[in-house]
Amino acid sequence: MNWISALGPVGWTILLLVPPLILMLYFLKLRRTLLEVPSTYLWTRTIEDLHVNSIWQRLRNSLLLILQLLLALLLIVSCLRPGCDGEELAGDRFIFLIDNSASMSATDIGEDQSKSRLQEAKKQIENLIRRMKKGDAGMLISFSDRADVQQSYTTNQSLLLRKLREIKQTQRASDMKEALVAASGLANPGRTSDKESAIDIQVADAKAAKLYIFSDGGVPEVPSFSLGEYLTPEFHPIGSIDPPNNVGITAFSINDEMETENQIQAFARLQNSSDESRFVDVDLYIDGVLHDALGGVEVPKNDSKSLSYNLTGVVENLEKALPVKLEIKTPDVYAQDNVAYAVLNPPRLADVLVVREYNQFLEFALGTGLCQKLAAVEFQPPSYLDSPEYNEAADLGIYDLIIYDQCAPQKMPLCNTVFIGKLPPGDRWKAGDKQGPTPIIDTDRSHPIMYSVSLNNVTVIEAAPLTGPSGWTSLVDSTVGSILAIGPRGGFQDLVFGFGIIEFDESGDPVVNTDWPFELSFPLFVQSFLKGLGGGAKFAKSQAVRPGDLKTIKPQLPYPTVTVTSPSNTKNKLRPRSDNTFVYANTENSGIYEVQEPETNSIDQLFAVNLMDRQESNLRVRDSLDIGFEKVSGTVSDYKPVRKEYWPWLVGLALVILLFEWYVYNRRVFI
Amino acid sequence: MSTASDEKSKKDEPLLSPKLLAQLERMELVSRKIFRGRMKGERRSKRKGQSVEFADFRNYVAGDDLRFIDWNMYARLDKLFLKLFLEEEDLHFYALIDPSMSMNFGTPTKFRYACQLAGALGYIGLCRADRVKIELLDGAKKSSTPVLRGRSSLHRMIDYLESLEPGMNVTLTEAVKSFSLRNTGKGILILITDLMDKSGYEHALRYLTARNLDIYLIHVLSQEEIDPDIQGDLKLIDCEDADVAEISVSQRLIDRYRQTLAAFIEQAREFSSRRGIVYMMTSTERPVDRLVSRYLRQRGLVR
Repeated sequence: MNWISALGPVGWTILLLVPPLILMLYFLKLRRTLLEVPSTYLWTRTIEDLHVNSIWQRLRNSLLLILQLLLALLLIVSCLRPGCDGEELAGDRFIFLIDNSASMSATDIGEDQSKSRLQEAKKQIENLIRRMKKGDAGMLISFSDRADVQQSYTTNQSLLLRKLREIKQTQRASDMKEALVAASGLANPGRTSDKESAIDIQVADAKAAKLYIFSDGGVPEVPSFSLGEYLTPEFHPIGSIDPPNNVGITAFSINDEMETENQIQAFARLQNSSDESRFVDVDLYIDGVLHDALGGVEVPKNDSKSLSYNLTGVVENLEKALPVKLEIKTPDVYAQDNVAYAVLNPPRLADVLVVREYNQFLEFALGTGLCQKLAAVEFQPPSYLDSPEYNEAADLGIYDLIIYDQCAPQKMPLCNTVFIGKLPPGDRWKAGDKQGPTPIIDTDRSHPIMYSVSLNNVTVIEAAPLTGPSGWTSLVDSTVGSILAIGPRGGFQDLVFGFGIIEFDESGDPVVNTDWPFELSFPLFVQSFLKGLGGGAKFAKSQAVRPGDLKTIKPQLPYPTVTVTSPSNTKNKLRPRSDNTFVYANTENSGIYEVQEPETNSIDQLFAVNLMDRQESNLRVRDSLDIGFEKVSGTVSDYKPVRKEYWPWLVGLALVILLFEWYVYNRRVFI
Repeated sequence: MSTASDEKSKKDEPLLSPKLLAQLERMELVSRKIFRGRMKGERRSKRKGQSVEFADFRNYVAGDDLRFIDWNMYARLDKLFLKLFLEEEDLHFYALIDPSMSMNFGTPTKFRYACQLAGALGYIGLCRADRVKIELLDGAKKSSTPVLRGRSSLHRMIDYLESLEPGMNVTLTEAVKSFSLRNTGKGILILITDLMDKSGYEHALRYLTARNLDIYLIHVLSQEEIDPDIQGDLKLIDCEDADVAEISVSQRLIDRYRQTLAAFIEQAREFSSRRGIVYMMTSTERPVDRLVSRYLRQRGLVR
């Protein structure tokens, strides 16, 4: 607290004379109104009681005098201009980036570790907003794996504070890039340029801004991003400096790819991000019932530990979907990664129709044990394509996959297809003239269907180069062009061979066109397109869904609607897309989601949503961020010293006292 | 506070309205003590005498008036009995009005109120053939009414009351002393005053109690005295002795005044009741007819 005199010596003299003057006026005789009364008898007695003529007695009873003196005192103090050194933010435009990803829910702030990182970040931003000068503009962006502009530039501080309080914790992973793009979009104005005319136009004025990033730093690097010259970043790390106590589940899956068949195991990986080894108790629940409990599992410091559970017995005769939950019972500061979910769905066989005249290789490949566990395969001759049963099944999309060998239907069915040696009807696919021999140059091993397929020694005698519809992908290239390709059709996919496996010569005898069926890669290829296009699974190994991801649901039967119930018990009714699949977007929370069929509301399938992100489970607070080529170190805010004045408050208080005095005088409460 | 200007308009009104008179005619003054009257009146006496109301028989002794012998009894018993009747007598009724300057305040003024009350009670007495005397406590400077008797004296009483003016600054004690010396009759005495006498009212009441009268003290206060509606810094001047009291009105002062007044009234009430005086405080805002018909009836002065 310091003081600055607002008046000169004369002013002070006059002002200091005011209180004695008030006292003098109070003791001066008043000019009283004369009033004749019947008798002063009672009045005299009253005054005798009331006025003991001691000066202090009079002063004590005079509320008005005290109020007047207080008023004068407040005005005198106001003229001394009391104030203190305060701070305010340097700059005039501020962008606040606040991380609300899952790791920000860690409660490692405060003595008793009761406050979450998000709460702390909100508090720090609130302090900054309160220090903004009048007229300063602020913008508020929250980010997890996507960015939300909570409030675009505004000078309304209370609006910013309200929006700040409305920011909710998410269970998502972190990705700062989108937020940075949103922030820099306003600081570094966009340019439009036309390559041909070489005109470069700046579309808005550049506005320098200060970018405050409030995060625990558990975000992936943003290498390909430039903050530009107008955006000055400042990183405020949130979280305790000591690596907090946290052991989290960073992976949990159920797998059957075992050497011995029919053996199913659940794998989990626990990660310890602290500097001490931790011992945790881990429980595995299947359908809510404790299946296995491990006590005192040691997770080494800064390392991970794998666990596996044998579920073979559980899966046998599985009739309904079962939720599986893995839980670390030992409490720590970050609760979200202590639970992971998985689902055991009953096996679902893909319905596959094979229309062929004669193809024993294909029949053989589809007859392997693994394929039989994936799909129910039905074989029909080409004449079946004209039957009403086929037309109905094709229109309703009853099959998951139809393989046309050396034949083609009149119109495309509502399912995925494989065409061998023939083109699909219509002009979407085009083929050149058959040429041969066609040595294979390259295969697209990155595509899931070709993942484990090697065509090194395969020879194709004759093949036609293929061109597909837009979005098509060549899987096998030869000297004549693409001879195996896959292309989209609405929600379906068509796999097209530019060659036949068994062709027929002019006399109608079968001729082997390629030696591929004799290679080990052929049954592997059949299995992989059966998995990829048929959609069958031995037991439904559901794909990993992270909070916020889209989930594509393919029910057992083509239902007109399905209802999805989230772990928080909100229900969403979904309508199918053209390929009879449903898309569910509301996967904000981790847990088990139930898919119910419309009529009996029985559960069709379950799916699990887990974050399981090593980056989020690692609660170590980073002291710097890499943004593009720039390394942003954690700092404290840049404040500009300002003087905070208290005199307006004092004058306000004096006005209140004046009002009260007026009330007292008029209502004669007390004199 | 003063309402001297209002007084004129009030004076235009009759002192006792015909309605009030009609009401009063049905009433009767009651004395808690039974006094000997001087003349035959309408009041039943302890003494036996001439009236229509039978009281008792007694044996004839020589010298008794033969007119009262019960001849029927003589025929039956052959003994002479005298038939006794209750005597009906008159009653003295004195109304004393305080004429001090302080009585000239209020709406209507306390003095006029006192005159109205004295007139009303006097009229009751006149109707019952009592001996009514109304006197101004001015230390015998102005003559009082002669003793009035009978309903026909109403006009004389009203004229006398109308002619009275306040403004005699005689202390209550002196005036009462003067009255007591001049009047010796026994009966009901009603003293109408505001008791605002700085020398005190106690002596005055003691003089009266010595006279063995049935005394009623009607303490008249104006509304301004009971609940003063004043504001600001005032210099109060006593209208009687020009005494000055300076006050700054505050709620505390007003509260304190009310306490003082309440104590004053309580003191007067206690002093009176100890000496067998019926005390009654009334405001000038309470109409006389209600005072008479309700409050004084409750106190037993009239019935």
